[in-house]
Amino acid sequence: MRRAVLVLTAVLTVGALVSPGGATADTSDAFSATKSMERVFEEDGDRVVVDERTVTVKVDHTKNLRGRERVQVSWSGAHPSGGRATNPFGEKGLDQEYPVVVLQCRGRDDSSLPAARRLARETCWTSTPRQRSVQASERTALWRQDAFASAADREPKSGLSPFPSERCDDVERLSSRVTPFKAASGTVHLSCSATTMAPEAAADAAFPPAEVAAFTDVDGNGRVSFEVRTATENESLGCSSTTPCSLVVIPIMGISCADDASNECLKTGQFAPGSSNYSGEGVDAAVSPVYWWAESNWRNRISVPLTFATEPDVCDVKDSRAPTAFYGSELLSQASTQWAPAYCLKRDRFKFQHNRMADGAAFALMERGDAAAAFVSGGQEAASDTRVGYAPTAVTGFAVSYVIDRPDNAGELGELRLTPRLLAKLITQSYTGSTIGQQHPGMAKNPMSINQDPEFKALNPGLDSIAREAGAALLSLSEASDVVESITTYIASDPEAAAFVKGQADPWGMVVNPSYRAIKLPVDEWPLLDKFVPTSTQECRRQISTPYMTQLAAPISSLRKIAEAVLDGWPNVQTKCTRSSVSDPWKMGRVDRQGIGSRFMLGVVGLGDAARLDLRTASLQTKVTRGSGTAFTDASGRSFVEPTSSAVLAAVRTARRSEQPFGAFALGPATTGANAKAYPGAMIVYTAARLEGMAKADARKVAQFIRVSTTEGQRAGAANGQLPRGFVPITRNGATAALWKQADAVADAVESQTPSAADEDGEDETTPEKESPGGGAPAPPGAAPGADVPAAGPAVAPPNAPAATTTLETAPTAATTSSTGRLLMAGLLGVLLLAGFGAPAVRVVALVRGGRR
Amino acid sequence: MSAVVEVAPTPLPDPEPEAPEGRRRAPREPFRRARALWTGVRAAERRGVPDEVSVVTSSLTVLAVVCAWLLLQLLLLSGLAQDRGQTILHDQLRSDLAAATAPIGGIVRPGTPVAQLAIPAIDLEQVVVEGTSAGQLADAPGHRRDTVMPGQQGTAVVYGRAVTHGGPFGSVTSLRKGDVIEATTGQGVARYTVTGVRRAGDPLPQPLAAGKGRLTLVTAEGDGRLAALSAGSAVYVDADLATEAQPVPAGRLNAVTDAELPMGTDTSAMAALALALGGLLAVAVGLTWLTRRVGAPLAWVLGIAPLLATAWVAGDMAVHLLPNLL
Repeated sequence: MRRAVLVLTAVLTVGALVSPGGATADTSDAFSATKSMERVFEEDGDRVVVDERTVTVKVDHTKNLRGRERVQVSWSGAHPSGGRATNPFGEKGLDQEYPVVVLQCRGRDDSSLPAARRLARETCWTSTPRQRSVQASERTALWRQDAFASAADREPKSGLSPFPSERCDDVERLSSRVTPFKAASGTVHLSCSATTMAPEAAADAAFPPAEVAAFTDVDGNGRVSFEVRTATENESLGCSSTTPCSLVVIPIMGISCADDASNECLKTGQFAPGSSNYSGEGVDAAVSPVYWWAESNWRNRISVPLTFATEPDVCDVKDSRAPTAFYGSELLSQASTQWAPAYCLKRDRFKFQHNRMADGAAFALMERGDAAAAFVSGGQEAASDTRVGYAPTAVTGFAVSYVIDRPDNAGELGELRLTPRLLAKLITQSYTGSTIGQQHPGMAKNPMSINQDPEFKALNPGLDSIAREAGAALLSLSEASDVVESITTYIASDPEAAAFVKGQADPWGMVVNPSYRAIKLPVDEWPLLDKFVPTSTQECRRQISTPYMTQLAAPISSLRKIAEAVLDGWPNVQTKCTRSSVSDPWKMGRVDRQGIGSRFMLGVVGLGDAARLDLRTASLQTKVTRGSGTAFTDASGRSFVEPTSSAVLAAVRTARRSEQPFGAFALGPATTGANAKAYPGAMIVYTAARLEGMAKADARKVAQFIRVSTTEGQRAGAANGQLPRGFVPITRNGATAALWKQADAVADAVESQTPSAADEDGEDETTPEKESPGGGAPAPPGAAPGADVPAAGPAVAPPNAPAATTTLETAPTAATTSSTGRLLMAGLLGVLLLAGFGAPAVRVVALVRGGRR
Repeated sequence: MSAVVEVAPTPLPDPEPEAPEGRRRAPREPFRRARALWTGVRAAERRGVPDEVSVVTSSLTVLAVVCAWLLLQLLLLSGLAQDRGQTILHDQLRSDLAAATAPIGGIVRPGTPVAQLAIPAIDLEQVVVEGTSAGQLADAPGHRRDTVMPGQQGTAVVYGRAVTHGGPFGSVTSLRKGDVIEATTGQGVARYTVTGVRRAGDPLPQPLAAGKGRLTLVTAEGDGRLAALSAGSAVYVDADLATEAQPVPAGRLNAVTDAELPMGTDTSAMAALALALGGLLAVAVGLTWLTRRVGAPLAWVLGIAPLLATAWVAGDMAVHLLPNLL
């Protein structure tokens, strides 16, 4: 009982939610601030408060941020928004009323700092000129009617002195305002037209706009995931570990109007709170985010100081030592990015480098001695007898991340439930995608995309049924990976999913794609088997005949790329026909980014990436208590679990120690099956290293890595050397004690490099003697051809050609024989003799016999 | 060929009438049985042998003739042909060398003479052609197409037949260490000294140092009592270049077909062989018909030349199917 309590306590202490929406493991870098703000109208010199709010802004984590990391910004007490835009990002978010504007700005909001390091409107990033510059008639130039505006701001032309009328195409009689952007380099971008913006703000830039005018619900609460950009993504903004930046949250209250203000200024919005503005109709400018820079709005800002992690290249810049590369699983990627500086910046540690590679290939490299260690997330098939130890290094897993917008502008879907059968349907390309795909033989009755599937609808009600090509695919890995093996194991171990793959129709009549029927699972690399080429009247499709299902699935090579595709809502479906001009040939390419408001995309990601980019992750089915194999209309009788820390820990607790000493733990549906709370996608990443035959120096490095990563490296946090979100710490006690113990033992075994009893006969393992297949060693270059390997071309002596006096032991000449050659002549002679003497002999015998008669 | 063996039984003189007083010759009893047998044989010969025996003897005779022809062609006639081929090749090489058009590298058409090989120790003088398939080795030793030319930096490999077609390389295995091999090519005269004879299982020679050259002669040899007729295993003679090695022009092949490897057979001659055998059959049928029509002597006078010619061609084609070093 006491033990159970201990375990429970341990779980609770580390049981922070891995998935978005939960509390962070490290609360110290969260941010919270409250500010009261009001909107006033000046009437005959008196200020009348027309609206008063106390807004509390919370940000879940603000420290050691990395490129494209998303932080959760939430607030309460803000003015309810109206006229909700489908896409609140960038320029598209301007046509809303009372939103909360969130911007990333360089500098800190601290009046004690020198001006160069202070944040200002000029250091806040926006991606379009409309967010920075306005020309308006005097009546509608609301910033000039602002009660809090300075005298300079009330001038007809303001923002920059002298006003750049020439370059901004200014019209003399209109009121104009520019808010130039000051780049980190000091360059000032006028930002009054598309050509005067900072280079990163080009139309269709590599990254979609991050600044957002977010929606507040009728209760005054709201939340948004804000994607921060570092100098790597946005050099002009230039946020880095040395250049501090801030998040600026501006709840739009409306312009506070001066005495002489026009009616335009006094407007309070034409959209009802909570309403939508699908068509981008005009809104009341006084309460729109377009004047976020006007003093009335700007003064209400809440600044959230952000710090950024050391740049990814810090090890290359600051440490000239040669790195020791560990190869393997991408699941560890986020952790190793944080860990690497903790090694290279310390002189007593080696320079650690993690090169992503397929688990199997990495293991083979390590076994051959070409790599010091490999990161794998499961037991690998050994190619040799060399003993290998698996040191558990991180507990994480895979997730199915998604970005799905609910219909009627209701925002993103917050919880998605998936069964193994739904995953099987996606991965076997059994949804037809479109009417083109419906030509596929044997799949005519299948739904076109997952949101039309009754099974999906039963579990995830309230979504639309519009057929989408992206809804027919689960963006997955093109390479071999233990993640693919883990997913396919999950599918194979579920009776319903396995039956579906074997060819049995689901209760609603959907059948598996015949190309994948009865495919043997699990696999570590998903094959693209479908060869169906549709016939179409489209000119492009007639010219390019290419398998359609493969275009929908279009797997990519890394989990990080999948995560970014989900982050951007940009499926990798390759069915977009383009050509540069009518005389050019058609080509097929990736479809466009999905419009916010109608996004629908699923992808396989690692938990580390999902946490870093704040992606939503699906709950996976763990147990079916009733109704298995029958049609269902809701989720009752089925348990689903999200990839939270506690769910991952529950899965790890079921892991079984290997019978091999230092072997990989068994973890998967086979062990978690009975536990409805265990996340089926949990995986353990191991550092696999040889226990014999490794060079002493390498062995010490690997042992050091295992020790450091399982102690210091398991402290949750965003700083160098700490464990990022998306990973569950391995601790000396608690559910992960067995893992910790094994890691510790493997570290000792790797360091001591004791040869096993079988190898103690003096055989040196490190001699690079390789036997080539077939027995005969290949002839050295320039050697005379023995039988069939002549030296072609000029003899090129090896660089260390032996001196004339030394003789090398060369291979024996191969035997080339021909039985025809050996037997032909003798045979001919024999036959000649036999036949030559035989013919007369037979004749004589016959005559003699005839004579006796 | 069946037409050749129809041997008409010679009419024998009548047997002596048996002595009426046989009892008197009782002491010569032992010869009586022999005489009786002889008489029986003579009688049987007059009657003729039974048909089935005639078929067997005829077949055996045909078989013997075919074997004899093949042996004759392989061991003797092909040698004559090779001798003539050498004369022609020598003329061609001589004029090529004089005109400085003898190939020294790159892709050379198979069958083109590329070098003159001289080994005084065994009194060998041969023109070497490009290519090592059975057909190319019929007229001359062949230079393997994926090796450098003799005299150049690197290892040049030359194949030669051991037994058939004059067996030009039949005695290279008797070379001793230090014997000289001279190769005359478009780049001059290269002198090699033999380093040893190498058979299966012997160590390969040392790796060549940069800028050195080597020549490897490849042929076949047999063992046992019929060694001269059972050349079934490849044997190598290595010789190091004693003179300065010539540079190698670029563009050599980097692989050859199986037919050009040691003991390779060239099955592409199969079609030609079938055609030649068909011709031979046609000639034989014609000869039989002619025998019936005009009698044997005239038929043979008319038919012998086409018969020999087609048999020769068929034999030549059959050689392509035999190991190239034989």
